[in-house]
Amino acid sequence: MTKKLLPTTIVGSYPKPKWLNKMIKDHKYGGVSDKVLEQSYTDSIKTVVKEQELAGIDILWDGEMRRDEMTSYFADHIDGFKIYGDVRVWGNNYYRKPAIVDKLKYRDELTIPEYKYLKTITSKGIKVPITGPYTIVDWSFNEFYSKKDEAIYELAEVINKELKALVRAGADYIQIDDPAIPTHPEELEIAKNSIEIATRGIKAYTGIHICYGDYSKIYPDILEFNTDQFDFEFANKNFCDVEVFKKYDYTKDIGFGCLDVHTRRVENVEEIKKNIRRAFEIVEPKKVYVDPDCGVKLLPSDIAFAKLKNMCLAADEVRDEIR
Amino acid sequence: MPHKYREKTIIPTIMGGYPRPPWFAEYLKKLEGSQKENLKEISEEIEQRAINDILDEQKKAGIELFADGQLTWQDFLCHLCTKIEGFKMTGLTRYFDNNAYYRVPVVASKLELKDNMISDEFELAYKTQPQTKAVLSCYSIAELSKNEFYNNKEEVVMDIASIINGEAKSLVKKGAKYIQLDEPSLLQADKNDLEIAKEAIKKIVRGVDAKFFLATYYGDASNIFPEILDFNVDVIGLDFVEGYEKNLELLKEYKTKKEIQAGIVDGRTTKMEKREDVKNKINNILDCCDADTFFLSPNTGLELLPYVKASEKLMNMCDCFRGEKYD
Repeated sequence: MTKKLLPTTIVGSYPKPKWLNKMIKDHKYGGVSDKVLEQSYTDSIKTVVKEQELAGIDILWDGEMRRDEMTSYFADHIDGFKIYGDVRVWGNNYYRKPAIVDKLKYRDELTIPEYKYLKTITSKGIKVPITGPYTIVDWSFNEFYSKKDEAIYELAEVINKELKALVRAGADYIQIDDPAIPTHPEELEIAKNSIEIATRGIKAYTGIHICYGDYSKIYPDILEFNTDQFDFEFANKNFCDVEVFKKYDYTKDIGFGCLDVHTRRVENVEEIKKNIRRAFEIVEPKKVYVDPDCGVKLLPSDIAFAKLKNMCLAADEVRDEIR
Repeated sequence: MPHKYREKTIIPTIMGGYPRPPWFAEYLKKLEGSQKENLKEISEEIEQRAINDILDEQKKAGIELFADGQLTWQDFLCHLCTKIEGFKMTGLTRYFDNNAYYRVPVVASKLELKDNMISDEFELAYKTQPQTKAVLSCYSIAELSKNEFYNNKEEVVMDIASIINGEAKSLVKKGAKYIQLDEPSLLQADKNDLEIAKEAIKKIVRGVDAKFFLATYYGDASNIFPEILDFNVDVIGLDFVEGYEKNLELLKEYKTKKEIQAGIVDGRTTKMEKREDVKNKINNILDCCDADTFFLSPNTGLELLPYVKASEKLMNMCDCFRGEKYD
């Protein structure tokens, strides 16, 4: 892992090339073979990795090219889940909401093939994002377990098994995506236990990404979680959450979301520099990782690139200024 | 053919929302895209076909009082605000504790009815199925919005109430005999809010010749008892999934002659209830009900279930209550 001050990183997702989406669709209807689809995946990973490198990202990921969505991708590869169909999130947007219909058991490798391939095509740092057991269960129907926490803890064991194998394969930076945590502050203890189980015996740097929630309801309690870092969104709410984290002594590293991924406006370097400096109100610079609020997959790819590039330039300048 | 069970007429119904038939979801995706701005005119013929599909699903399951399914609604109950002049729709926020979002309506100017709210879609359903319940809301849509125009909440609620009263009248002209007011937010109301809601409902039902339901869900009704029993409605809807024990106690404590619509199966999970459990619950609730008619439904709308599971949920519920079969 990089020892650089203010390392730049992404949360996980990157826009899929349009041609990859077409290939996935054609493959579904039988017009494209498995082999051609596989080649399309690796081609698109090379493309988005190169884009991240050109933007100047220090710690990157494969853009989640193989994942359709952050819950169902994992549900598809773990025993005990079944997907009946689409469920609406809002308007005309849906996700394949999984149902837990049987005991949750480890079946397929979840992130290891992605990681191993990525390692062969980049010399940059690699962060492996995986959705947390709390969020996967919260975003699934539960038909099998009598209590929600039983399902969460069982799934945490599955994730733990994956993370152990992932670290054996060489991974040194893992990010657990757990955006559902702030939606039920009354279950914070369960979420905490789930992280404890998932990261048990894991010798790697770990972060937890939490976005789009009311942080004041879970802070400072989350500082008790077994993690090296938390990654939060700040730009989306115009950095008003900085005040929340300043109230108590923040004891972890911070992934500081300084780009708003829900606007197509490309923030300029000066603006992002100011944004990054807001992080220093919470922690000293050596504890700050610079990244966007969330995955950038919903942006057009040229805009995603332009934003990340400016972010990296801004980080370079701030780094020079504070050295 | 109404079912009699323990000498009461049992009418299985749904709350209102139903998942879109998959082909209709695809159609809307293509027509409207996934952004929040460009809503387009939906072909009436296609909407009719979609509504007929879900009415048919309800009928096959055993439902006797139907709903149009709110198939074109994008913002849950706040869909109604898109039909009211004076509201503007803003950023997305979570809808109660669902993993689902709605655009927050902001009251920017005086509220007035823009066009018909739901009477067109009601009419499509009514053509196929005259026993259709229309679903509106008043207090909750005021609570889910932000007020930047009126002096206080009461003014917002009362102006919405006048608009809903107008809409209820047009619904009756189109044949509606049953109108449900969905008020999940009422469960968090304080005594002052309850007074406002009570006055609002008085206004809504004035001059409207229909049977009115007041539906609450996402929890128990301890905050609104016993005041709710004096509201000017015929049927009170209670959530017997998330608030079973408490609601049962309330019914025991405060006897009422009003009819009850019992939300008996969980509309938010694909897990199917054991019929024996449901039947026990129904018997316990019936012990506390005086009225001759009793409505059964899922506790919430079914719009957040996968399409195939919505009808299964209803069928499971309907099979449970059929006294003839189990007595």
